[in-house]
Amino acid sequence: MVFKKLGLAITFSPNAKALLKTAKRLQELFSAQLCLIHVGDKNKSTEAQLFSLLDDVGIDENKYEMVWQNGDPSKVIIDTCSAKGVDLLIAGALEKESMLKYYIGSVARTIMREAECSVLILTKPTEEQKPFQEFFVLVEYSEVGENAVRKAYQFALLENAKELGLIKEIQTPGLAITISDGSSTQETEKRRTDWQYEEELKLRVFAKEMKLGNINLKTVCLYGKQGWESSNYVKQNGGEIFVVPSPTKKLKLFDRIFQHDLEFIIKQIPCALLIIKEKYN
Amino acid sequence: MSLSSLEIIYFLLSIGVILLFGRGIGELFRNIKQPIIIGEIIAGIFLGPTILGSISPSLYNYLFNYSPQVNIAFNGFNLLALVLLMLVLGLEIDLSLALSQGKAASLISVFGVIIPFTLGFAVSYLFPTSLGITDVSMKLPFSLFIGTALSITALPVVAKTLMDLNLFKTDIGLTIITSAMFNDLIGWIVFSLIIGMLGHTLHPMEFHWLIISIISFVSIVLLIGRKLINYVIPKLEKVTSYPGGIINFIFVLGLLSAVITEYIGIHAIFGAFIMGIAIGDSVHLKEDTREIIQQFVTNIFAPIFFVSIGLKINFITNFDLLLVIIFLSLSVAGKMLGSLLGARLGGIKKENSIIIGLGLNVHGAIEIILGTIALQNNLIQERVFVALVIMALTTSITSAPLMNYFLKRSRKFLSFVKLVKSENVFFTNAKTKSEVIKELCNKISIYHKLSNEKLLEEVLTREELISTGLEKHLAIPHAKVNIPNPLVAVAIHKDGIEFDSLDGLPAKLIILLITPQNDPELQLKLLAEISRMLGDKERIDKLINSGNATEFVSNLNQLS
Repeated sequence: MVFKKLGLAITFSPNAKALLKTAKRLQELFSAQLCLIHVGDKNKSTEAQLFSLLDDVGIDENKYEMVWQNGDPSKVIIDTCSAKGVDLLIAGALEKESMLKYYIGSVARTIMREAECSVLILTKPTEEQKPFQEFFVLVEYSEVGENAVRKAYQFALLENAKELGLIKEIQTPGLAITISDGSSTQETEKRRTDWQYEEELKLRVFAKEMKLGNINLKTVCLYGKQGWESSNYVKQNGGEIFVVPSPTKKLKLFDRIFQHDLEFIIKQIPCALLIIKEKYN
Repeated sequence: MSLSSLEIIYFLLSIGVILLFGRGIGELFRNIKQPIIIGEIIAGIFLGPTILGSISPSLYNYLFNYSPQVNIAFNGFNLLALVLLMLVLGLEIDLSLALSQGKAASLISVFGVIIPFTLGFAVSYLFPTSLGITDVSMKLPFSLFIGTALSITALPVVAKTLMDLNLFKTDIGLTIITSAMFNDLIGWIVFSLIIGMLGHTLHPMEFHWLIISIISFVSIVLLIGRKLINYVIPKLEKVTSYPGGIINFIFVLGLLSAVITEYIGIHAIFGAFIMGIAIGDSVHLKEDTREIIQQFVTNIFAPIFFVSIGLKINFITNFDLLLVIIFLSLSVAGKMLGSLLGARLGGIKKENSIIIGLGLNVHGAIEIILGTIALQNNLIQERVFVALVIMALTTSITSAPLMNYFLKRSRKFLSFVKLVKSENVFFTNAKTKSEVIKELCNKISIYHKLSNEKLLEEVLTREELISTGLEKHLAIPHAKVNIPNPLVAVAIHKDGIEFDSLDGLPAKLIILLITPQNDPELQLKLLAEISRMLGDKERIDKLINSGNATEFVSNLNQLS
């Protein structure tokens, strides 16, 4: 089972219906339970609004659990997911926030950084439901990284996806400065080409070790700033969902100021973003 | 006032001679795998009062001391060289890298600066006269300077050493680079404070104003300037010719920033360095642009600066062995202790901590730049400067060989070929795949005192997932277990054995690869290395046809 219990942060925004439809589709796809979380007052009016929305989408009342709670939205959502054992939280988010909001941290961005479970962020949810076809996953050679690849693969198989792209980023900070110590440009270029070849080979061995045989697989090694390069590549190559392992450290304000890795992706989300949190079991 | 025709001739001639000798001797050093700047500094010693000035004072004076005007012109050119050198050094400092690294790298970065700094500061504060202070009233800036000089790391030498030792892409390499970058940043901030304290600037400041100025400048450039530059670079690339437009933009910004810091009473080079960091952080700055700038500055401007160091000082009369020994001892003790402490607290093994300590104990060009400015500001005597230069050169020369020595002792960094030992190579007549795997596990467990059952279980579990029988008679069964270093055993089956291979051929060369559980990338690296090395049938056949284990190891070494 890819995910056992889905959570959806539900609001009465224009995207609410589209997000509910996606949650319903994924609930059926994963044969999972669904937990709806609304941050705000529970009264007759809001209840009526919610039931009408659920009716429209066609979610059976026996197939979900509803949580109403007041408080700081991101904290309530994150705490509820932990308390209810949600392993995939679905939420909507803007592709890019205003600069101030990005640094202060919006609800969606805070969830991406701080939720303990995996998070699926949809930047352009639509009411018309179509399976994701173009999957990309950011490869990291770690336990969380292996889990992200495995989840992406299982998800892609369920969606009957056209392609799964494995992206590995290579970064060699300080390579250019070796020129000042006597290296020639040919020498650094040759070294870079060798590393690229070695990384491509490693990535192919990794794919083989992970046994990802039943899908059209593509492997790509990108040279440059981590997070930034992959995010651009996914966007330029028509990625529909980008699966990334979560960083081992909690992202803080300093990581937003001096962006790296996931922060580059969070700042400008290239397509639907799935952040995998837990290690592979 | 302008230069006369003769002055122009001698000015240009001196630059030409500097470039010629700097490059020439630099290339000699490059050929023996030593940093090129060592050759440049030696060229300066050769052309300066130490050698040429003693042999032929008139020729030395014609070339490098023709008239006060020529000296002023030369000093101006030299200052420009230094500013541009600091700009390109800043370009390669990646602040986000430190944030993306784990606990160990952060601890090493912090302790690698604090311990040598404290040691240098304390000793020079307690014994300023023994360490060559010029004016005892300047004890505080002098001690701060010695502390900084001992804690700073030369990023270019570090980067080149890592490249030569093939450590660039390893965890240790990344930790060393991150720490070196952090050391540089902290070192230059402290140094700008020292220069401000000396008060030889346009606007001498009270100490608290000095600190406020430095913090404000760094914050504005790194927080706001950095974002603006990142926004402007792609726009500029569209409207200017590439790469000329961008290179011009970088130099203009670097000079502008240098002007600002000089004006507010810090040193010009600090402005160039901080602006370099802000520009280098841009995701839009292409790698080839960085390299063009590096080539331009390091081949034309850097030699002028490094050669000129020896042009004004006599390295023989100012040589003080005791001072050299004190500086070297403090530097080695401080850096090694700081790095070891950081590495150990960060959970890095002892032998790898030593490699990190040695990697960071390289002072090189950065310390020489610091020393030059301290000398120009009368903070240190010439004999202190000479001792610092010798320390910088010694640590630059010894770092790579010492690291290499400890690398050989740490099996983690060995290539596949180096991991294969003749005692773990054998010929077999096993009847089945599981039988040969059992023999291989047995071999490894005997030599490395591992539990045979556990090892066998792990390898067979992995084998059940997907067969490791490859093509052309090669099979690489493998597993990850709880061991510190990778292990290899090799079995040769002359007739071949059924191994569910991809091409259906029986396996004749069976390589068992066991790697540490906590390092998944190492397994991939070694598997990729074996696949690349044994990609064609002829190579595999050569190994299979080896007469004995020793011949096998020798054949394998020939293939690498």
